[in-house]
This record gives sequence, structure tokens and C-alpha cells, in this order.
Amino acid sequence: MAASRALTLALALGTAFLGGCKGGASITVDTTVPRPLVDPIQAAMGVYIDETLKTYVHEEEDPEYGDYRIDIGASQTPVFARVFDAMFEDVVYVQRADRHDDDPSAGSTSQKTPAPDGDAEEGGSGSGVAVRFIGADGTALAVDGIIAPSIEKVQFAIPDMTGGDFYEVWIRYKLTLFDAGGNALGEWPLTGYGKANERNFGQLGKQTPALYEATTWALRDAAAELAVQFKDQVEVQDWLATLSTHGNNEGAPQ
Amino acid sequence: MTEQRMRRTALGPALCVVVGLACSGCVQTTVQGVRQAETQIDSGESIVILSRKHKTQGETEDDFVTCVSDSVNTGNGALPILSEGEFVDALFPWFEPRTAPLTMDDLATVIGRPLISRRIDQIGVRYLVWIEGTTERSDESGSLNCTFFSGGIPACFGFLSWESGSNYEASVWDVERGMSVGTLSSEAAGTSFVPAVVVPIPVIARVREKACSNMSDQIKTFINPDLSSPEVP
Repeated sequence: MAASRALTLALALGTAFLGGCKGGASITVDTTVPRPLVDPIQAAMGVYIDETLKTYVHEEEDPEYGDYRIDIGASQTPVFARVFDAMFEDVVYVQRADRHDDDPSAGSTSQKTPAPDGDAEEGGSGSGVAVRFIGADGTALAVDGIIAPSIEKVQFAIPDMTGGDFYEVWIRYKLTLFDAGGNALGEWPLTGYGKANERNFGQLGKQTPALYEATTWALRDAAAELAVQFKDQVEVQDWLATLSTHGNNEGAPQ
Repeated sequence: MTEQRMRRTALGPALCVVVGLACSGCVQTTVQGVRQAETQIDSGESIVILSRKHKTQGETEDDFVTCVSDSVNTGNGALPILSEGEFVDALFPWFEPRTAPLTMDDLATVIGRPLISRRIDQIGVRYLVWIEGTTERSDESGSLNCTFFSGGIPACFGFLSWESGSNYEASVWDVERGMSVGTLSSEAAGTSFVPAVVVPIPVIARVREKACSNMSDQIKTFINPDLSSPEVP
């Protein structure tokens, strides 16, 4: 009886030990970024952040390196809010009038979030179909344009995979710009890259904190890229030109 | 009896001193500095110690940057320091891995923006010290085997050794004048070993700590040259 218990205990410990050697990590990143130091564009911008973005989780099962789960949904609204609030004189959070959400926690009105691909099909550039956006309280909008970020892909790498020093995370966004009428003016990619030097972490249990740090840097990098490069996009320059024509953007954006 | 007790009492501290001396391996150090312009730091001004984060390998360890920042900020000739985190947050997104200026021309472009120059004035940063370099371990040899004797007593036998080398360089930029004012370097090398006859005794060459200490002292005397003058009795 005692021998049987000892054998069971040894097997359990052995399984736990071997399982622990496989690796894997599960992180939830709930962070924001500092307010970007940029001159605001003199425009009222609508920002559409859908539920897919707010609940984004990247999961990957690798037979060699373990199971990984990177939850970055909670960071999307704080990060984009901080960046857009600094980039534009006025920011209004909007929703799609043609969507209904059964989740009461999703906002003041109901909306069922379309997948990013669905957005592209229905309202993406070139589709020719205008998307009707309304204010968070259901009222009509008075904005100069609307921007809608979505995540296209998340990738990560750990030193065991690459032979390098870094835990690395890439987040590839797609930004879609609409005019005030909901017509897509264009879309472009935005990639955030973050890395964490494994030398900055102890030998044991470093995967989780290192991946967390790399993901935080990737979000920060995407925010930096967005704040610095936004006006370099051809679609944005064309849109800004239309605002200038209407005398709406007198202050030159930095 | 009293004499025996006295001998035992004296033996304890003596052993501690011997073990303490033995546990710190020898470290050879080299420091160099090139001054391109005079420096001074006024009241209300501070410096920031930063690491380069755009490289795909050989990134400076965070704890080295922290060590240098803390050491420059304390002790004789301490200088006011703004932490790397506070600085990059205050100037977000202009000193991120992707956007940080790599040359003086880049810096001039960045601080030429009125928003940024105003913020730098607000936080009072006068000098940026960019640190690059790493500590590497090499030439590992030997082996160490540990086992349990009957009765559960652990014991180790063998000999391990390795070389460690720290090689760091710091570029000092004067933000106010928009120019590079000098370059400092700190190198340290040493051999660590662990002999074990039942009990392993690690003798570690603390090269990174020594490189940090030397780099910090250099930064202090470089920014504030009066420190290196002999004191008047």
C-alpha cells in the first residue's frame, strides 16, 4: 500500500517536472502608453474600436515549445485612446449603426462586433459601401473622419526557437480611415515589435515575465509608430488636404 | 580552557576574512576617456543614463544601466539623475527603440521640435549618456559533480572555471549645446572558479560590478571635472 502511494507520488512528481520542462506561458497584458508628445491635428476624429479588438487573444500550441496564450485585448482601448487623444484636437468614440451587440458590458448601446475581415469586406477601401457610424449614445456624428484599428496577426518567438537573446513579439495592425460619411479612404498596416533580453531575467520562470515585457514593448512600439508616422500615409495626407480645403485644419500638424 | 576559548574566538573572524578574500576573484580593469568639449552641470540640471535598444544582439543589460545610474547618483560627487524610464516616458515617442536618435544630427532634428525642446527644459535634462556593451562569459572548463552520501549528506567534487569580460562604452551628449562632448569606456576581465572537495567554494570575478563602478566614477569626473582635482587640506 505504502509502496503504491510512493510510486504514485513519484509518477506525479515526474510528470509535473517533465511538463514544467516543456515551457509555455499565459499572459494577460493590461497596460497603456504615455501620452505622445505630438502637435494635435485640428480635426474631430471618430474612433471605432470593435469587440474583436477589445477581446483579442493569441493562442498557440507547439508540441516542442509548449502552449502559449497572449491576451492583449484589455490594452487596446487604453493604448489607442491615449494615442488618438494626443493626435487629434477632438476625439469621439463611435459605434457601427448596423451592428447589434448582445453583450451589455460592451458599451452603452448594443453591437455585435464584426470580424476585422468582415469590416474590410463591407466597408474596407475599394468596397464602395459606406459604413454608417453613430455616436456612443446613438446620436448622429459630427466628425471629420473615422479611424478603425484592427489586429491582423500576432507572432512571437523565444530564444529557444531563434537561438538569440530575445523574447520577441510582433503585433500587426490594420488601420482603416473613413471619411465623415463612412466611405473608406484607405487602409495600411502598422506593426509593433517588442523584445525582452533574456539576460534581464533569472534562470527559472522567466518565460512569463519576459513575454509580458516583450508584448508591452510591442504595444508601445505600435503606439509610437502610429503617433510618428500617421501623417506620412498617402491616404492621410489626402484626407488632411480635404480638411484644409474646408478650412478645418489650419494648424500645421507636426 | 580560557586560552582555548580565545583561540576559537579569534579563529572565527580570521576564517571569515580568508573566505571573504578568497571568494572574490581577481579582476583586471581598463578605463579610457576622450573629451571633445568642456562640461559643467548647473543647479536644476540632471543627466540620464540610457541604453541602446535597437540592436538585434548584444543589448546592454538593464541591471548594468541601473547600477551606473544608482552609482552616479550616490556617493562622493553624486550627480542628479533622471531615470531612463522617466525620461523616455516624458518624451514618448521620440526616444523609443525605433525612434531614438542615433547621431547628433538625429538629436538636433528631434530637439528642434518646439514641443520636445520645451519638455526637455521642463524636466531639466542636460546630458544624455548612451551606454553600449555587454558582459560575456567564455572559456568554461572543468566539471562539478554533486551527490548524496548515505544518510542524505550532500557532497560535491570537481573544479569549474570560466572567463568573464565586460566591455562597455558611453557616449555623452550635451542636449543644451546639441553636441557630443566625449566618450568613455570601461573594460573588466577576470577568471572565476569553483573548487569543490565536499563543499564547493565559488571564487567569482565580479567583472560587471567593477565595470559599473569604474564607469560611474568616470561619468562623475567627466561631467564635473572639479571632482578629479586633489583636495586642498
